[in-house]
Parts: sequence; structure tokens; C-alpha cells
Amino acid sequence: MTIPAPLDEVLGELPLVAARLTAPRRVRVDARPENLPALLELLKGRLGFFHLSAISCVDWLEEGQFELVYHVWSDKLKLLLSAHVRIPREPGEYVSIYDLHEPAGFFERDIHEMFGVVFDGALSLDRFILTSWDGPPPMRKDFDARKYAEETFSTVNYHPDWLKDIEAAGGGLEE
Amino acid sequence: MSDLKQIPAIPDPDAIEPSDVYDLYFGPNHPGIEGNYSIRVRLSGDRIIEAVADGGYLHRGFEKIMEERLWMQNIALVPRICVPDPVPMEETYARSVEMIGGLTPPERAQWIRVLMLETSRICAHLFTFGGNAATVGLYTNMFWGVTMRDLFLDIFEEITGARIYHIYITPGGVRRDLPDGVLDRLEALLDELERRMPQFEDLFFNNAVVINRASGTGSMSAEQALAWGATGPNLRACGVASDIRRDDPYLVYPQLDFDIVTEEGGDALARMMVRKGEVVQSVRILRQVIPRLRELKGPVRCPLPNPLAWDLPAGEAYARTESSKGELAFYTVSSGGPRPYRVHVRGASSMHAVQVLEHLLTGARIEDVAQIMFSLDACPPEVDR
Amino acid sequence: MTDKPLKANERPPAGAEEAAGPAARDAAGPGQACPAPSPQERGVWRKIMDRFADHCRARSLFVLHYCTGCGAIELPPTITSRFDMERVGITPMVTPRQADILLITGYLSIKTLKRVILSYEQMPAPKYVLGFGSCTINGGMYWNSYATVKRLDQYIPTDLFIAGCMPRPEAVQQVLLQLIEDIDSGRANAWRDYYRNYDFYLGNQQALFGPKWNTPTDVIGEAEHYGLAGEGTYGPHTKLLAESGGTPMELARAERPARAITGRRKP
Repeated sequence: MTIPAPLDEVLGELPLVAARLTAPRRVRVDARPENLPALLELLKGRLGFFHLSAISCVDWLEEGQFELVYHVWSDKLKLLLSAHVRIPREPGEYVSIYDLHEPAGFFERDIHEMFGVVFDGALSLDRFILTSWDGPPPMRKDFDARKYAEETFSTVNYHPDWLKDIEAAGGGLEE
Repeated sequence: MSDLKQIPAIPDPDAIEPSDVYDLYFGPNHPGIEGNYSIRVRLSGDRIIEAVADGGYLHRGFEKIMEERLWMQNIALVPRICVPDPVPMEETYARSVEMIGGLTPPERAQWIRVLMLETSRICAHLFTFGGNAATVGLYTNMFWGVTMRDLFLDIFEEITGARIYHIYITPGGVRRDLPDGVLDRLEALLDELERRMPQFEDLFFNNAVVINRASGTGSMSAEQALAWGATGPNLRACGVASDIRRDDPYLVYPQLDFDIVTEEGGDALARMMVRKGEVVQSVRILRQVIPRLRELKGPVRCPLPNPLAWDLPAGEAYARTESSKGELAFYTVSSGGPRPYRVHVRGASSMHAVQVLEHLLTGARIEDVAQIMFSLDACPPEVDR
Repeated sequence: MTDKPLKANERPPAGAEEAAGPAARDAAGPGQACPAPSPQERGVWRKIMDRFADHCRARSLFVLHYCTGCGAIELPPTITSRFDMERVGITPMVTPRQADILLITGYLSIKTLKRVILSYEQMPAPKYVLGFGSCTINGGMYWNSYATVKRLDQYIPTDLFIAGCMPRPEAVQQVLLQLIEDIDSGRANAWRDYYRNYDFYLGNQQALFGPKWNTPTDVIGEAEHYGLAGEGTYGPHTKLLAESGGTPMELARAERPARAITGRRKP
């Protein structure tokens, strides 16, 4: 299985775009951040990649980067293309593709809420889900959700008789 | 009857007097909202001039807690993302893990997965059937639909042990084989459903009130639906024959014979008719799956290491499924360890409950809000995760 | 992070509730149009009237139709033909002002909890809260989630819990029948606890929502009206409440999406 010729041609027009087929009907493209909007526009205009399935964000804490993945589907080629870009974690800014794909409005707002990435030109960057939240963006890797949950919410201190018996015999719970 | 549908054009917001404008909160405590969700509408008379969706009431931080659990433990979490139709969630997660790990479930497991998926599709549509009718005041449908669905939940209980959240489809296959006799019971139930379908149709689609309320309500053209990101039955009701089971097939769907149901019009009535057609097609698929499962023997899981010590290689996968609501996708990233590095859930309702709903509500009447939301089958837990 | 007070302490010991009865009523002052005396100190006539009222009330319960979480998917089967709770008089009601039972179906995110507390305070007494599912008991499946509360009975008093994830309609039926029995025998009195220990509940709510948390319902006034105000009703948190300037309307305005209803971007 190889990348279909029309797609190969279009990808060849942009500088420094690496592409490979990862699974049946799945192509991975690694693009430079400045090339991505042009790439998506080319794909939409020439090869029928009309449907934006999702925009995902992955936080690579050690490398200090956010990876944004744009998944677009072409009905003509029956192919899903995932375009990966890496942006620096500080300041965490990128350009919006709302004018190209309207579904981006939801995903960019979601990524902004959860990761803190600012999209220039997005439909809206206001809170949608986390309107009662005043902590750091929760999906970042440096936010410890379990610690936060333990500090904010109290739980039942469950110590039944059978556990006491086990502890008396020398066993007990591991922490 | 047609003159009732001559709704005048959307009033220009700048031309409306401020005293004619009224802001109303719809939800979250509202029977006309599907689930725990809220819409803020700005009204001029009973016409909506603007609508803003407000979610987050069901937010549990799924994507964060999935990163802290083992690959196998997440199967217990994942069905809870979409409450009415949990089986595609399990299947898509399992498939994304298999894509990363290079696993292929055995053939018998794939056929069983299709059985579960299509039965869950029937259950979800029967549930929506009732909810949709309730929005126009026809409550009998809810009783019929929910009770019929309950009989299918008995089949699920027999196979998996639970009615709603099965925790049955795991990476590598399914957890256990089908019990004896369940295929006969499922076939008898499908006969019963087919016998009752004319009654359901008569009650819902031959009803003049429903037809008058539903036709023309919340209508969108094919271009609008594609531009707004609508998928699933909402898109097929606009005449676009797009179905992931055909376009991006998975499991054993290429071997199955079924039609893609489309309708013209893109309004609430067309969407309900598409769902009715999908129930018929799901029954058709199940009637092909059941005999195949009777004759096919084999394991139902591929050999896996100890799930408590199972490291997946580094990689990523994007698995897509046609759930009853639309396109469901999981983007799973592994950094080579026992836990996922990132799981991103793309629910179909991420589009339907937010942007599509806001577009369709603009210009609608206040009494149609509930019907538009239910006909889009917007599922708030999928939006909030 | 705003400067929130620490988590509230454990609730005061059970003995304090009953002892607070008569003394509190005397201390509450005028306005005792509808005192709610504890079961031991009612007169005979009062006992007969209460028994009759409980008997009738138990057979006509309205459940608030607020689907707060996952568990709401098992409510239509419980109410419709197969399990049919309507034959024991339990039916959904859309407004909290006329509802008896608040069924918390599953987990509560912080945003939902605010609305649940507002709805709970809008319900007239006597009211009953049922915690549906493991998430209300100890966090359930989301025990390490940053977005859900782990214990329901720290924020509003709960009569009964239903274990399960999710509970079957038969389990729901069993608990509803248990609740009917409890109401009938006069045991379902958790709603009084909200007035008796308002400071405890308010403290937990303030720890979660901020020191300016305030609701339109005058809970202390109601507590005094029912004669249930006692030592647990007033405390440091109610003092904060009195000093707070924000009403929930202002809080809601502050937290709502700023992409509020202004002009939309034309497609």
C-alpha cells in the first residue's frame, strides 16, 4: 500500500512535509507550523478533504512542545490524513483554521480550555465546559488531577471490621 | 396544512426594539433538553434570534483520568462517555489500542462485536424514537420504545452481565463467548420487533400532528450539513450517503449486505425516518450475523499478556466508528508504557449539540427547540466527556 | 486559585440534633407559624395529623425530572411500562416547587452541583434526596477526577443511597419502596438536617464554590420558621454568608461564557 498519487503530488508541492501511510486509509503527515494552513487549504481544494474530523492536542512536557493534530477525511480518496505540527509550549500560540473548516470552532475552544493554547482568529475562546474552574488548564501534564481531587474533595474513610482483622494479623492496604 | 409552514424570514437583530427581546435559559433542569445541558436563547416574540449552547454539566475529566489507568482498566471507564449508546465507545477504544499494538481480534470475536454494535444501535434508536415523540406531546411512543429496548437489554445482560455498561469488548477480542441459546432468543426478539414495526410506524409517522410539527423543523441543506460538520443520521437525512461502515470499514462490515438509508429534506421528520430505516437495516445485518455465529467456531480473544503488566509499543492510532449518533473517533497516543499517554475522544455530538444546534435554532420558534435537539440526537455526555 | 476556606470539618455528632429541639424553638423567637417538632415531643393530635399526612404523602411522590448524570438512563425503564413506578404514585415533575424527591442520578460535576443545590433549596419541605449510584456514595468510577464531587451527603442531606453502577430498575424500585415505607413511618427526616446543620453544609459548599456563595433561598429564615434552627445552624460560614455581597445571579453572570448573546459572526 502506498500513498495515492494525487496526494503524493500535492504534498510534494509544499516544502519539508514528511508523509507516510500508517494503516489502511490512514496517512500521517508531519508539517511545519507555518505550512499547515496552506496544506489544509490545498487538501480541501484539490483532493476533497472537506471533513475535519477532529483537532487533537498532545502535551509533550519533556520536550516543551504541544503537538496539534488535524484529522481530515477525504470522501474522494477515502483516506484520513492526520497532519501533525509541533508548537512550543511557551507561549502556546497558533493560528486558527475556523475560516477553512467550521468544526474547528469547537475543537479550538476545547483545546484552549484544556491546554491553554491560544488560537489567533478562533470563533471564540471563552469557557464552554470549565466555566466554574479557576485552576490551571487541567489536561496539561504538570497538573496532578489526583492530588487536586484529594485536596478539594473529601471521601469516606472506610475502615470496616474485616479490614481491622486483617491489619491485626499483620496485613493491610498498600498505599 | 402547508400554510402553517410559511414562517417569515429571520428578523434582523438590529431592527428589533430592545423591549421586544427576552433572554431565556433552557435547562439544565428541563425535560425538553436531552440530558443535562443548557441553551440560552434570545427571543423576539416566540422566534429565536440567537442561541448559545452551554455545556460542561457532565464534565468528569475523562481524558485526564484515562491517562492514569492501565490500558485494560480504561474499558471500564469508556462506555460511560456516551450513555444511551455505550457499545461503540468500547469498540472504538479497543480498536485504537489494537491498531497501536498490532493486534487482530479473532474472527468470531469480530462477528460478536458486530452483533453488539448493531443491537446497541437498535436500542439507541428505539430510545430516541420515544424521546423525539415526547417533544411533540406523543408520550405513548416513549413507553413502547423504552419497553422494546428493555427486552434487548435483557439480551445484553445475558451476554455480558450488565444492562447498560457492558465492559465486554476489550482490546484483543471480547471477554467471553456467547452463552447457549442467546442467538435463538435474539432471533425471536428480532421477529417480535419486525412484527411491531408497522405499529410503531403507524403511531409515529402516520400521525398528522407529528408530520406537521416535524416537517420543515430544523431543516438544513446538504452543503450546510457538510460545512457544519454534521455526521451520521443527521447528514444522511440531507441526502448525503456517507457512512463509516462503508467508507472506512472496520470489523467484518465489508462482508455484510446492507443499504445506507438516506432521505431528502434534512428536517426533523427526515432524520427520524433515517433512524427508522437504520433500525430496519440493523435487523437485516443481525439476521446475517446470527447464522454466521452459529456455524463459526473459534477463540474470542487473541492471546494477551497479563493486563496488569502490559506495555504497548509507542505509537498512535485514530479509530473511527459509525455510532448511532454519527462519527465517533478515538485518537490514542502511546509513549510505550502500561498507560495511555493521551486519549482524545471525538463524539458525534461535539458538532451536533453545539454548532449545528446553534445554527438550527436561529430562526426557529421556541416550541421547536426540544424537537430540534432531540431530532439531532445530541448526547451531552459526549460533548463534555 | 482564589483563596478558598479549607474543607469543612465532620458534621456535629448526632446527639446534638435531637437535643437542640425544644431549646432551639424557644430561642428562635417569634414567627413560629409552622414549627416542626421532633417526633418525641409531638402532642397526640399532632401525631395523628402527621401520621395521616405521611400516609398520604408517601403514596403520591413527585420526582424532580432533572437528569443530573449517567444514571438517568435507567429512569425511563423504571417509570414506563415494564417496571412502572407510576402505579405506586411516583411520577416525574418538572418544577422543583412541586417536587418531593430529588433523585441525584450519578456523579455530580461542580457546575451541576450548584444547580442541584439551588433546586434543592427551591423544593418545599418535606423533601427527600436519593443518591443514585456509587458516585454519590464515595466518588465511584471517578474517584480521582478533578471535576466531580465525591460525597453527596456533604452538600445536601441524603435519605437513602442506591448502590450500583448503574443500579438496575429493580434496585431503584426497592429503594423507592423503602423510601415510601420510611415516609409512612415518619423516619425520612433528613431534610430537617439541612436546617439543623446548615453551617456544616454551607461550609462545604463555600469550600467548593468560594466564600461568596449565596442562594436566593433564605435557609436560616426557613429554619427559624420551622423551629429547627439550633447550634448547628449558625456558625462561621453563615457569618461569611451574611457578609458576602454576591448573589447567585451575579455569580452566574460572572461565570457564564462571555460569548454571550451579542452579534454572531455571520456564516
